[in-house]
Amino acid sequence: MTTKKLTYMALLTAVALIIFVIEAQIPSPIPVPGVKLGLANIITVFAMFRLKPKETFLILVCRILLGAVFAGQMMTLLYSFCGGMCCFFLMLLMRRIVTEEQIWVCSVAGAMAHNLGQLAAAMAVVKTFGLIVYLPVLMVSGMLAGAFTGFCAQYLLKHLKKLGTY
Amino acid sequence: MVRTSTWIRLFLVLLCCFGAAAFLLAQQQTEGCIARIEQNGRVIRTVDLRGVTAPYELVLEAEDGGYNTVQVSPGSIAVIAADCPDGICVAHGAISKSGDPIVCLPHRLIITIEAAEKDAVDSVSQ
Ligand SMILES: [Zn+2]
Repeated sequence: MTTKKLTYMALLTAVALIIFVIEAQIPSPIPVPGVKLGLANIITVFAMFRLKPKETFLILVCRILLGAVFAGQMMTLLYSFCGGMCCFFLMLLMRRIVTEEQIWVCSVAGAMAHNLGQLAAAMAVVKTFGLIVYLPVLMVSGMLAGAFTGFCAQYLLKHLKKLGTY
Repeated sequence: MVRTSTWIRLFLVLLCCFGAAAFLLAQQQTEGCIARIEQNGRVIRTVDLRGVTAPYELVLEAEDGGYNTVQVSPGSIAVIAADCPDGICVAHGAISKSGDPIVCLPHRLIITIEAAEKDAVDSVSQ
């Protein structure tokens, strides 16, 4: 790993972290745990299509851990970690079957997997199957948020490509 | 490669399915009167909301030293204050129906409503 690569990864982590912390300050419009835009996912998707899987994984894990510290959400670290891992591995698979114009699809799948993983972790922790009533709402919100962040990442990739060096 | 139009169709179909499921679940909610408060997967209290004459408050302490203030009112229950980072439990407001649980994930708290079970009704009528 060159110094240049390391700096680039650190920069992406910092950007993702800033987005995450700012988003955490905005109250959710729908009081359902897990419903959010997940803007930091833009960086994960971006990295997924620009860097190696291992590097993307490192950026994601650093962002989740540091994000929990900075946003004061240590108690929810387990949920976000489970969600993040599900998201990462499904996107890793999806990455192989989508074209450059279909990056948003990868993001949608990742967001749905994230919400599913988070819900499963939450059900395991509170030991209540009743949380399943939130599944449809979480899937709808994941699909919409995933499409939005996916298009953001797709256009970011498309236009940064024109600049050449990045 | 799967065509983009196929992905869009799949996206819309799934969105409609989950949207319909969410709508149907919301329709399924029924009035209930037994409130069950669970923390860390253990039922710590059940309250028959029909028996509540005047509102009162319960302060529940969480594992991390935080708290949730629960207000029990005739026919409904709510979290009115909490120091969790997301504030979702307070934002949820009062509940009186089943299938609409109040959740505080940071404090591992969940409050659900159940319709009075048959034997519960029986024990009241006996
Ligand atoms: Zn809460």
